[in-house]
Amino acid sequence: MARVEFDNITKVFEDTSGPIIAVEELSLDIPDGEFVVFVGPSGCGKSTTLRMLAGLETITDGEVRLNGEPVNDISPRDRDIAMVFQSYALYPHKTVRGNMGYGLDLSTDLNDEEVDRRVVEAAEMMGIEDLLDKKPGSLSGGQQQRVATGRAIVREPAVFLFDEPLSNLDAQLRKHMRTELSRIHSELGITTIYVTHDQEEAMTMADRIVILNDGQLQQVGSPKQVYYRPANTFVADFIGSPSMNFFDVDLEVASDGTGTLVGNGFTYSVSDSLVDLVGGDGEYILSIRPENLNVDPSAPSERSFEATVDVVEVIGSDNFIYLDVAGKECRLRAPSETEPEEGDVITVSFDEADLHLFDRNTEEALVHGHERAESTPKVIEQEA
Amino acid sequence: MINETRRSRFLLYAGLGVFALFALTPYFWVVRTSLLTNFAAINPETGYLPALDALTLTAYTDIWNQFDFVTFFRNSLIVSISATLISLVFSIPGAYAFARLDFPGRKLLFYTAVFTIMFPWIVITIPVYEVFYVFGLINTLPGIIIALSIFVLPQTIWLLQGFFRQGIPENIEEAALIDGHTEIGAFLRIVLPLSAPAVGAAALFSFLTAWNNFLWVFVLTSDADVRTATVAIHFILGSDVLREWNILMAAVVLLVAPPVVFYGLSQRYVGEGLGGA
Repeated sequence: MARVEFDNITKVFEDTSGPIIAVEELSLDIPDGEFVVFVGPSGCGKSTTLRMLAGLETITDGEVRLNGEPVNDISPRDRDIAMVFQSYALYPHKTVRGNMGYGLDLSTDLNDEEVDRRVVEAAEMMGIEDLLDKKPGSLSGGQQQRVATGRAIVREPAVFLFDEPLSNLDAQLRKHMRTELSRIHSELGITTIYVTHDQEEAMTMADRIVILNDGQLQQVGSPKQVYYRPANTFVADFIGSPSMNFFDVDLEVASDGTGTLVGNGFTYSVSDSLVDLVGGDGEYILSIRPENLNVDPSAPSERSFEATVDVVEVIGSDNFIYLDVAGKECRLRAPSETEPEEGDVITVSFDEADLHLFDRNTEEALVHGHERAESTPKVIEQEA
Repeated sequence: MINETRRSRFLLYAGLGVFALFALTPYFWVVRTSLLTNFAAINPETGYLPALDALTLTAYTDIWNQFDFVTFFRNSLIVSISATLISLVFSIPGAYAFARLDFPGRKLLFYTAVFTIMFPWIVITIPVYEVFYVFGLINTLPGIIIALSIFVLPQTIWLLQGFFRQGIPENIEEAALIDGHTEIGAFLRIVLPLSAPAVGAAALFSFLTAWNNFLWVFVLTSDADVRTATVAIHFILGSDVLREWNILMAAVVLLVAPPVVFYGLSQRYVGEGLGGA
């Protein structure tokens, strides 16, 4: 059980072509027992951050603390952590039992019986008690994954670290293991830091999601927060599948105070409260999730736009419709009964409550239309 | 169609057969001649495949009685095994450092080591002799052992670093660090056991290189009692057995036998080691 603090940590790799900043001034406080998922594209610094916590990577600047104790100069074995690697990193020359018990043998004074009892317990938890006497080479990927997780569980560490542990599994098994890891976390209540590039994994498992890009922290928040209230266009684009639609728009406020968002290929009237929130004329990025767009022939023209259907992808439960709005791609998620032909021109509308406005220069969020979100940035009051 | 496939397959095997025959004939001839009497060896009527009753081991008993093969083999074994062990002791940590650690001058040192593998040793015989002379190592077994260890080392380092780089995932070492090992502990307890095939292959090559080495032993020794078998054969060829082909060939067979046995013992590991698995 441990609280994990990253205090302004920076990691710089020296390369022949010059220094590469992998993580820049990251600060984060993870309370005891939380399940935190680090997510971001390849090279965003998420694995490096995890490895710095594990002690496998030195820290260029800043401090990492476990339960308030700085651990920068403490070796991995003295940090009371357990880690599951993407490649599983099982010892090929040891049996499953040997793999799982090895850490206990080395780092505790438990006798052989006690070690074995804990190994069997962890194996039962992972459903691999039949595999204890096999060598990793004879196991399937999913089984190896379970052994690797079991090896971490058996240690009963202060912190669990997972570095893309499910990336090498097929889609179905990945989903299954996702629930299983969540179950283990709720059973053991051990602080868990999980790294993935898969936003769906992050959304389904995390108490809090930490989104990184180019070594910089983009947003920290619950899955709902990062989904409904993305802090900037990067988060908005990264979270959610298919990803959000973005349009460059200008807000034009008429003399009577009514506002209109004017973009390339559409105009959209907005409420007075939104005009008040953004504070008048200006250049913005309007974004809207594919699931918040509707095909609605009867929508009023000032609150809809026309688009040409490019491609319709049938998913089963839904249809993904790819649209052309004045040369820009726009994605729409429609119920399966909505299935326009390619080339059709359809009327698309959305609710003001679902839009997001970002500053076009800083790409930071200004307004989230969604009622489910709490304060800051500003939220539109729903009109009756 | 079937006929065509069969024909091309037949031609392929026939071609391979001819090639194999060409490659193996000299070895067959060495063994055949070593098993004949001196007269039969040069008698044209003996034929390519001599009759069974013409075969004899006299060449082997003659050569064993005529020359001090016990000393030569003892020297060869001492020198080859010592050089193998010494080169492994230095090359295992060296290769591991080249493969895993990032230290200043790593590339320069590594390429220097690789360069010495390609360097024609004969060019440096005189300076090497001078150095060994200064240290009083001429005509001594330790001198030969040191020379062979040094010259075998780069090849062993090169072989092992490739294995450490590709054959052992870094994550396994990291898992060992987290499990409670120090870096040295992780190396000794996890990496080294997993590297047994590669170490076996490296040991085999070191042994063969040391056993077959002619140049350094020839340059650094002049007394018969510190000669290795490889160099001894050279002197035997030039002695009064000059025309006794059966004895010469028996000497060759004796010389080759130990490395073949050594290979037979270690080949189970060697294939894996070279495959990097």
